[in-house]
Amino acid sequence: MSAQTPDRGGLLRLLAKAFAILVLVLWSLGPIYWALATSLTRPDELVSRTPHFFPPNVTFQHYARLFGGSSVSQGNTVQSVWPEFSAALLNSLVTSVGATILTVAIAAFGAYAFVRLRFPGRNILFILVVATMAIPAYTVMIPLYRLMIQLGLIDTYVGITLIYTSAFLPLALWLMRTVYQAMPIALEEAAWLDGAGRIYTLVRIVLPLAAPGLIAAALLTFLNAWGQFIVPLVFSPTLATKPLTVLIPEFVTRNYVDYGLMNAAGILAIIPPIVLVIFLNRYLVSGLMAGAQK
Amino acid sequence: MATVEISRLKKAYGKVEVIHDVDLSIAEGEFVSLIGASGCGKSTLLRMIAGLEPITGGEISLDGRVINAVAPKDRDIAMVFQNYALYPHLTVAENMGFSLRLRNVAKADIAPAVRQAADLLGLAPYLGRYPKELSGGQRQRVAMGRAIVRQPQVFLFDEPLSNLDAKLRVQMRSEIRTLQKRLGTTLIYVTHDQIEAMTMSDKVVVLNAGRIEQVGAPLDVYDRPANVFVASFIGSPAMNMFDATLETSGGKSVVRIDDLVVPLPVRSAATAGTKVVFGVRPEHLELASDGDGSARFPFHVDLVEPTGAELQMHGRIGSTPAVATFRGRPGVREGDLIHLTADPRDFHLFDKSSGERLV
Repeated sequence: MSAQTPDRGGLLRLLAKAFAILVLVLWSLGPIYWALATSLTRPDELVSRTPHFFPPNVTFQHYARLFGGSSVSQGNTVQSVWPEFSAALLNSLVTSVGATILTVAIAAFGAYAFVRLRFPGRNILFILVVATMAIPAYTVMIPLYRLMIQLGLIDTYVGITLIYTSAFLPLALWLMRTVYQAMPIALEEAAWLDGAGRIYTLVRIVLPLAAPGLIAAALLTFLNAWGQFIVPLVFSPTLATKPLTVLIPEFVTRNYVDYGLMNAAGILAIIPPIVLVIFLNRYLVSGLMAGAQK
Repeated sequence: MATVEISRLKKAYGKVEVIHDVDLSIAEGEFVSLIGASGCGKSTLLRMIAGLEPITGGEISLDGRVINAVAPKDRDIAMVFQNYALYPHLTVAENMGFSLRLRNVAKADIAPAVRQAADLLGLAPYLGRYPKELSGGQRQRVAMGRAIVRQPQVFLFDEPLSNLDAKLRVQMRSEIRTLQKRLGTTLIYVTHDQIEAMTMSDKVVVLNAGRIEQVGAPLDVYDRPANVFVASFIGSPAMNMFDATLETSGGKSVVRIDDLVVPLPVRSAATAGTKVVFGVRPEHLELASDGDGSARFPFHVDLVEPTGAELQMHGRIGSTPAVATFRGRPGVREGDLIHLTADPRDFHLFDKSSGERLV
């Protein structure tokens, strides 16, 4: 391409592209870097007049306060936040993984039905399901809250997982539908003639081939669930189910905002999604691209 | 091995009927080809036999048992698909053994069965490979192996050779034929390639627009096409056809093509004056020698195409485009006017209005 022997126009285009990418990278990574730098800066330097791009004296005291048995804050020895932090981490994991498994399992079967089974109103039903993605979460919050109270599901794993599943299922269904539509039906027909029933064909032939799509759906659901704030803020009042996203802002006390601790906790909280994306992003791309080409 | 009986079979998509009252009997162990142009309904017919397309009307029976409502998995029919439809995530051995595993055959019995089929098809060295690691011809064989390993009652082949190159196609043609003879299993083969249909089949079924035009042994269909469609469809290059009128001359039937009068070998039952279509195949035309009493067709040569084995001459007889095929090297050049003749027994005569065969 023009990268090797760039003419004037080519060079300009290249520079413009590089600039655009740089802006995009700064836009996405800037806040993460700022959080990382803050988590490594001493509390007194955090509130100094001149902001520091690099921590002047790297310190791990905020991380020590997260993990340690007890710690010193503003000259006082205080209880460690580890019990809260670890409980919230577990809550985040349980609700996110639970919602991911449930969502992907339902999407895997549901989307197959939308693609391969013929029933009246199939397309209208699908459009209705997908259309729910356009409804803002806060408009259903109050009726949902009343419903969850009646069901006794406030502050329970089951309740949170069900809410997440209902919220993320439409996207996963949509994705899996595209994946199935791109698969040649001849494979399934061959399996039927080989003696397989519908479910067996789906589980043994279709799902293994739809793996990139399933992984993409799982990844999107997990990331969405992991980053949820409004739903758990309302439905997870106690540490029984409170996730990291709700716990971390609570490090703000009446007369002190513990920026270092908040940012250290935030950096730890983004590790699971980052690890997932790094290892599974190739499936994310191939899954989302299903049907885009032959 | 089984007989297949199809009676008054119909298929409609909504109000559009694509298969119209098809009747067909297939004997045990027979190799039957369904042939026709794209969209004639041959694949639909095959898929209805497989159970992959619901039947709108009529009956399909297998060995006397009506299977209209039987699920594909319970029909005991194996199918080889045009694109092979191999399971990409399973090895060759797993692909071939898949149906046996589903029938709860013991693992110890699956391996020898797969092995035997693989030996038959020359696939033994590839049993551990995945489909993507095989060539087109090998994939084709795996698809066949998957069908034969379970010893079904009927094989269905849906244009299995259309994705292969010409040389491999010729080779696979004889392999499939030999295999079918050895196994003795009833086989229904869909193709648009008349050479495949002619060379492999015991019986050819010519389909057109969802109707059967003719059923018969390949050479019968070639020698005595039942109507104008079959006459023009079977044979390559296609039969030369001329609009003509049936007349009587000296107590004998003749046809008049413009100014040309061609005597027929037998007296036609149709009345004089009937509008007819006169046909003669390009390969039955030969250079006329002076003074023999048979009909002479003046032929304007427009184009000479040597194919190696033969010479195809495109031109006109009267105003109608025509083709003649010669095996020798007659030394004819483009622009020549030559005279051709043919054995009257190779003439074909069809009724112009119905298209049906007269002589």
